[in-house]
Amino acid sequence: MKVKVSHLPYLLILPAFAYLMFFVGYPLIQALYLAFTENGAFSLATVSRTISDPRFWDALKYTIGLAAVIVPTQVVLALILALVMNRAFRGKDLALYALIIPLTISDVAAGLIWYAMLSPSGFLNKLFLNIGLIDNPVYFFGYQFRHMEFLAIVLAELWRATAIVFVIILAGLQMISPEYLEVAEVFGADYWTKLRKIVIPLLKPSIQSALIIRTLFAMQVFGIVWILAGRDIPILAGEGFYQLTEIKDYGVASIYALTIAALSIVLGAMYIKFMRAEYLEVKE
Amino acid sequence: MNRKAKIVGLLVFVILGAIVSGCIGGEKTTTPTTSEAVKLIWLSTQLNPPEERVFVQEQLLSEFKKETGIDVDFIPISYSDMATRLEAEEKAGKVTIDVIGDLHGGLDYFNSQGWLMDLSGMPKLEGRTFITTFEKYATIGGKKVYVPWMSATYVMVINKKAFDYLPDGLTKEDVMKGTDKWTYDAFLAWAKKLKEATGKPQVGFPAGPKGLFVRFLHGYIYPAYTGYQAKAFDSPEAITMWNYLKELWPYVNPASTTWDAMAEPLLRGEVLIAWDHTARIKNAIETSPDQFVVVPVPRGPKGRGFILVVAGLAIPKGAPHPEEAWKLIDYLTRPETQVKVLEKVGFFPTVKEASGVLPEGPLKILAEGVAAQSATPDAVVAMIPNLGAKGGEFKDIYRTAFERIVLKGEDPVAVTKELKPKLIALFEEQGVEVP
Repeated sequence: MKVKVSHLPYLLILPAFAYLMFFVGYPLIQALYLAFTENGAFSLATVSRTISDPRFWDALKYTIGLAAVIVPTQVVLALILALVMNRAFRGKDLALYALIIPLTISDVAAGLIWYAMLSPSGFLNKLFLNIGLIDNPVYFFGYQFRHMEFLAIVLAELWRATAIVFVIILAGLQMISPEYLEVAEVFGADYWTKLRKIVIPLLKPSIQSALIIRTLFAMQVFGIVWILAGRDIPILAGEGFYQLTEIKDYGVASIYALTIAALSIVLGAMYIKFMRAEYLEVKE
Repeated sequence: MNRKAKIVGLLVFVILGAIVSGCIGGEKTTTPTTSEAVKLIWLSTQLNPPEERVFVQEQLLSEFKKETGIDVDFIPISYSDMATRLEAEEKAGKVTIDVIGDLHGGLDYFNSQGWLMDLSGMPKLEGRTFITTFEKYATIGGKKVYVPWMSATYVMVINKKAFDYLPDGLTKEDVMKGTDKWTYDAFLAWAKKLKEATGKPQVGFPAGPKGLFVRFLHGYIYPAYTGYQAKAFDSPEAITMWNYLKELWPYVNPASTTWDAMAEPLLRGEVLIAWDHTARIKNAIETSPDQFVVVPVPRGPKGRGFILVVAGLAIPKGAPHPEEAWKLIDYLTRPETQVKVLEKVGFFPTVKEASGVLPEGPLKILAEGVAAQSATPDAVVAMIPNLGAKGGEFKDIYRTAFERIVLKGEDPVAVTKELKPKLIALFEEQGVEVP
């Protein structure tokens, strides 16, 4: 069978398009329908029900707040780790494996591990009590200790998800041609100058990918928060889940889901607009 | 075709022939040759999780079939799906369901719609005495609506170490038996003493997002102080109750707001006293039966409020095989079957004889605690209201009240006044009497 050349691109894209329509498009339309209709007619009742609940604004605040603390810290940490790991040293492979292990652990399991570590009778408290650093266990969990719960979530997320940023940045580092650095050395540039003028600009595409991936995941953060803080620290995905499973208000749950989707789209677009990657080769 | 192929072909033919003719494989038919094989359809909102389903099908029902030759199709189903199907079948006059297993609230509703058979005409179930409270609930308006099948409740678990710090005027005996002295005030004094002696808050509640703490609020402490679950939501007695909880909370482990079940915190030694659903503390007691005891909850000014969850078995009106269905009900309520259910899934028996069949050990500790609670003379029994899809909103109102009054320190008078109309509206919308 002969296929007209002009049809070929459409045919090739068809399976992916069908997949997206079925698994993304249809649920999205369903969510919009649930969120903006009541008894079959257009209505904003569900929206007003959602935004009149202070929980919604708390969830929005905490979701963005957590991302604002976690994502930049992860990028800086991952950058430092990648720079360290990008040189040859003994035991490098072992160190690399150790760094990547948290990637293999699900967020719920990670939450449980950190819960066990930070609980009043957990490893960290026992350690500090035994070496005499503290007299009473430090409480990390409970409504009264929300700032500590926030800290626990940040710790757990840094431990669990820095690895993915690290892998992306390390891959980016390894693609930088050593020639640039050699040239810089010839002209007498020191380590910091090389880092600022060559490495970081060339890493921008990698950092951008890592940032987009991490920020989007941060918008849907769920398991770790649910385990470490329950609903003491409300987050969008958690409140959506709560509305769906406990209250059975599918409309409000849809609005939470749509809020996560909207935030992801806006943030993704912002990254692409403001962090346009620079490629030295094509720069005029 | 060569010789080898011919032989193989012949062999295949012979084996196939043998299978078809029934010489090899196939199940031997040993079912008693009753006039026709009966297959019961049993819809149940209980025992739905996969492992419980396997237990029902492979242990309970295969045993039943061996004994009677009656096949049962066990269909786990949600309450709303069950209601829809039953309504459709009753209205069409073409009933296919033989047995229904559901909680009291659901059966009460089905009965009010006139969809259930009166079971008082059925033959007596020999060798068992149903616990009177259950029997009382199962008979509605003189009609025997269902047979009590399984029960569950929420209790207090005490780590025996806590008895070393009892406050003045309270003895271990008082707590274990649930005497008049085992009050919420005594509980507060105990919690206070525990914190002072150990330096840590030692009381725990499952107040996490999936925890059942909200049942403690509407089914335990509300009835204990006000005599009602929802009716007196903003009464002066309720305000006293909220102030009590505010006073108690500093002696409650703060991580309670993240806990969904109490077995783990009890086993980790993070709390010495905990309240939770029997199924959710079973694991702690099974792991260290020597360490824990199960006791009745404290009493308040209006009595000892506690929730009884009762599941019953009913037969729909016009069911195709009522006699066989009754045989299944007979089998499921026998003491031995009930003990098997308790051992496997942690639901408690509804017949007195079952406790005699229970082996010594963790389950007996649980069962004795449950029995002690049910037997307290000042019991104010609460049933979980049957609000269908609105059940979640009902729980959320109590949860919100708790969060605003106890955790955020808002004025209980204002909060309860604000939330009460919402609460009452839920009952009115569903046409359910306010408990």
